[in-house]
Amino acid sequence: MVTQQIARPAAINTEHLLEPQWAEVTSITKEINDVSTYWLKFTDPAIQKAYTFEPGQFNMLYMPGFGESAISICSDSNDHSKIGHSVRFVGNVTNAIGRLKVGDVIGLRGPFGTYWPMKELEGKDVFISCGGIGLPPLRPAIYHILHNREKYGKVTLLYGARTPADLMYTNEFDDWRKANIDVQVTVDRGDSSWTGRVGVVPMWFYQFRFDSRKTAVLTCGPEIMIHFVIYEALARRIPLESIFVSMERNMKCGQGSCGHCQLGPYFICKDGPVFRFDAIQPFFNVEEF
Amino acid sequence: MSDVLQETFKELQKIPWFQELEKKHLEKLASVTALRHVRADEVLFHEGDKEDCLYIVLSGRIALEIFIPHRGKIRIYTVEPQDVFGWSSVTPVVHQRTAGATAVVDGLIACIDSEKLRKICEEDHDLGYMVMRRLANVVASRLLVTRLQLLDMFAHPESQNAK
Repeated sequence: MVTQQIARPAAINTEHLLEPQWAEVTSITKEINDVSTYWLKFTDPAIQKAYTFEPGQFNMLYMPGFGESAISICSDSNDHSKIGHSVRFVGNVTNAIGRLKVGDVIGLRGPFGTYWPMKELEGKDVFISCGGIGLPPLRPAIYHILHNREKYGKVTLLYGARTPADLMYTNEFDDWRKANIDVQVTVDRGDSSWTGRVGVVPMWFYQFRFDSRKTAVLTCGPEIMIHFVIYEALARRIPLESIFVSMERNMKCGQGSCGHCQLGPYFICKDGPVFRFDAIQPFFNVEEF
Repeated sequence: MSDVLQETFKELQKIPWFQELEKKHLEKLASVTALRHVRADEVLFHEGDKEDCLYIVLSGRIALEIFIPHRGKIRIYTVEPQDVFGWSSVTPVVHQRTAGATAVVDGLIACIDSEKLRKICEEDHDLGYMVMRRLANVVASRLLVTRLQLLDMFAHPESQNAK
C-alpha cells in the first residue's frame, strides 16, 4: 500500500486539542434552503490573529449542551479576519447552530485534518468535480487558485446539485469565470425554467478533454458520486496519484482517538479528510468499510 | 456527392461516435441523415409521438422531459454536443417516444431516419454492428444516469458528518 504524504498544520491549541475556543458569529449568509454560512471570529483577538488554516481542513464546532460537529472551512485562507463554515442543518448539533444569531458565541477547535495539495498542483491543470455540500471544502482551494491563478493551468469546476435551488455560491460563479475558471453546473432534476445541464456529475466527463499527464482531479461530495467521478477519471487515464478525495465520515474527536471515523488503517479526522486516492483505494467503496 | 450530403458527411465525421467507421459506412449514414437547425424552446417531439429519428446533437442543448400530472414537465436529462437522443427509435419494439424533447438554446442536430438506418444496418452487418455497439454504450450510460438519479445522491445524510 502506498502511504499518503500530505502534511497538515497543528491545531490552534496543540497542548489541549479537546479544548474549544470561543468565537462570535459576526454574520450569517443563507446559502440554500437548509444550508447557511456562519462567519466566525474568535473572541480573543490574539487567537484570531494566530489562527491559520489550509484549504480542505475542518474545525470542530461546539454547541454547549448539544455537542460537536466537524464542519469544513469554506472561507478564504488568506483572509485572517473571519472564518466561514457552511452548515447543513441535519442533526442535533447543526440544528442548534441553525438557531444561532449574529453576536452569539460558539466553541471552535481546529483546524484539523489534511488539505488539498495546492503547492503540489502548481503547473498542472486542475479539474474540480463536486456535488451538493461537497463544494464548501473546495471553495478555499478555488480562492487559493484565484489568488495564484498564474501558477495553475486549465482550471475546471464541474459542480452538481439535486435541483437548481440546491446550488450553492452561485453569486460567485461569474467572478470565478472571470478568472478563467471554467465553471460547469448540472442538476439531477430541473423544471422548464432551468436552461442549464440536467444529469449527474460523473456523466459530463466526456465533455472535457484531459491531458492525463498534467491533470489533477479534486473531488468531494456524496461517496457514490465520488466513486463514479474516480471511475471516469481513471477511464481517462488520470493516474491514481493525481486524484485527491475529501472523505466524509462521522468525525467526533478530531485527533484520531475515538475511532468513529476509521477507514481501513486511517482515521479520516487525522489522516484525512483529504487523501490521495492511491492511499485509500483498497478500502474505497468496499462493503463494511 | 451533393453539397448537402457533403456537409452532412463533414458534420458526421466530427463526431467521435463515428470516427471508427470506414468512409463507405459514413457515406451510407450521411445518406439517411438530415441536418436541422433548431431554435431555443422549439419542441422536437412530444412524449407519445411516433418514433422516426435518432438524433445527434452537434451544437446547442436539448432537454428531455416527461410530463407528470399535477407537477408539469420535469427535465430528466439534457443532451449536450456529441451526445445522442431518441435512441429507442432504432430498437424494433418501441414505437412511441417515452419522453419529449425541447431545444434549450439554438443549435444544430443530425436527424438519422430510424427506419432507413435499420435497413442499412440489416444490409451491412459490419455497419450494423458498429452502430449497435455505439448505441449499447449510450444505453449503458443512460442506465447509469438513471440509477444515480434514482439513488438521489444528494439526499440528506442521516448523521451529522463533516461538510
